[in-house]
Amino acid sequence: MTKTLSWIFSLLAVATMGLLLAIFIWQSVPVWKHEGWGYLLEKKWYFRQHEFGVLPMVYGTLVVSFIALVLAVPVGWGAAIFTSEYLPRRLRMAVKVLIELLAGVPGVIYGLLGILLLRDWVYDGFEKFEPLSGDTLLTAGILLAVMILPTVVTLSDDALRSIPSAQRLAARGLGLTRAESILFIVVPQARRGLGASVLLALGRAMGETTAVFLVVGRQDNNLPDNWFSLRAWLDSGQTITSKLVSSETNIAYGDAIHWGAIVGLGLILLVMTGAATLLGTAFTRKPHA
Amino acid sequence: MRKFLDAATALVAFACALLALALLGGLVYVIVQKGGPAISWGFFTEQIRLVGAAGGIFWNLIGTLILLLTAFLASAPIAIALALMERVWLKGETSRRILTTGLYAINGVPSIVFGIFGFIVLVQWCGWGKSWLAGGLILAMVILPTVTVALMERLKAIPAKYVEAAAGLGLSRAQIIWAVLLPQSWGGLITGSLLGLARAAGEVAPIMFTATIFAGATMPHAIKESPVLSLPYHIFILAQDSFDPGVGSKLWGSALVLLGLVFSLSLAALPTRLRIHEEAHHG
Repeated sequence: MTKTLSWIFSLLAVATMGLLLAIFIWQSVPVWKHEGWGYLLEKKWYFRQHEFGVLPMVYGTLVVSFIALVLAVPVGWGAAIFTSEYLPRRLRMAVKVLIELLAGVPGVIYGLLGILLLRDWVYDGFEKFEPLSGDTLLTAGILLAVMILPTVVTLSDDALRSIPSAQRLAARGLGLTRAESILFIVVPQARRGLGASVLLALGRAMGETTAVFLVVGRQDNNLPDNWFSLRAWLDSGQTITSKLVSSETNIAYGDAIHWGAIVGLGLILLVMTGAATLLGTAFTRKPHA
Repeated sequence: MRKFLDAATALVAFACALLALALLGGLVYVIVQKGGPAISWGFFTEQIRLVGAAGGIFWNLIGTLILLLTAFLASAPIAIALALMERVWLKGETSRRILTTGLYAINGVPSIVFGIFGFIVLVQWCGWGKSWLAGGLILAMVILPTVTVALMERLKAIPAKYVEAAAGLGLSRAQIIWAVLLPQSWGGLITGSLLGLARAAGEVAPIMFTATIFAGATMPHAIKESPVLSLPYHIFILAQDSFDPGVGSKLWGSALVLLGLVFSLSLAALPTRLRIHEEAHHG
């Protein structure tokens, strides 16, 4: 009886996840038939004309996540080095608790702060580049950086702590300074865990929805000619998630191709975040285990 | 030179940690300072009026609590089943690993994907329309990995001699589960649920197409077409239209209440969690 119940409920969970994946593949078929590879590779989203190409949104997602990582990873690694290598145990736990509180702050509250503070700071701070508004890819990226910082800190701290203290003692015994033993002995050994912290933070950044929606400007079809142009970061854009959570999702249902285009975005997002998450999880496993 | 680098490294690391904590401090300070004035008894007991510019958030709070309770009740049996699967029923190392990897993968699924899944299956196919139950079930999917992993860790921490003693007394595996494993690990279920709910409480994306509307809902009496109000969606809508100063003060007040709710849930989960964490690392 107990065994049967365990199996039933577990299979229910597995079946639900299977159904989710199946639905996202199956319901996006119409748009793949309609657009072919152009759905992935073209810059066009005019739903009244039934033209769907998601490239600007993939670009938007990649750019805001990249900005977030560039800002959050160095700070996060530094903070993790401080908590794991310099703080005594009790203080370290206290700091970790505070950092995890920061991780728990809802996206909608970050979005609110983004709208009422960060938006103006970005607009004023980059005035000489003449942004059209404070709702830019950069604004979303900075906001995301704050949101993923706790993820980086917590995971990196765990990775550094998992290196045995004997390694540190031996390094100090050989005459290395504390900084040298950290940077040349501890950090290189923790590199897989540190890498995992980046990948898992990337997965979180790409999937974050509410906060990005509120500050990214949500402008369709904004793709710079040069993907690496920094000026484009000060334009409004659209990410996969900001499109998915917009009112277009309500409108699209019932129109097979438009709905397929929306669900297809979800599928692309699933693939991107899934790759980052699974790779990150694989990283944390010890190579010989 | 080496001494200088030594000190510089410590200083840079310290500055990074300080920045992270300052962000938390600044965030809390701004929310409390702007939201504090809106908090009064009436803010909790009245319903919204004038599109959020007046009144309180009573039904928003009730709606969020209904969603959280539903998510808890729906995720708990599944989490228990999955955790028992991993600890007791599954034999092979490979199948266990697939299960845990699957949980991490689910944990990485963006919540908007669950929201759209719920919109297709529950709102459209089942014909529920916006319903508190749809939202609760979708939030249950969002928190399932958190609850399950916490429960698995707690099961793992049960000393082997308890199980051996029970087996020595001739208890079957099912009896061991009910008499030893579950009573010893319910704390893990509670901790995991609190952590999961702390995340679920602030989510907008899973519920905005499935469960919640901005105004005009009170206590749901059925499943079909029975939306609820909710705190995060309230903030989400007001934040997009935040020029009216009256709305502004209520908006920050709602944000403060939501932040308080989320922090209380995660802090309630803390004591047991720290203990497990430290045992895992030093035990």
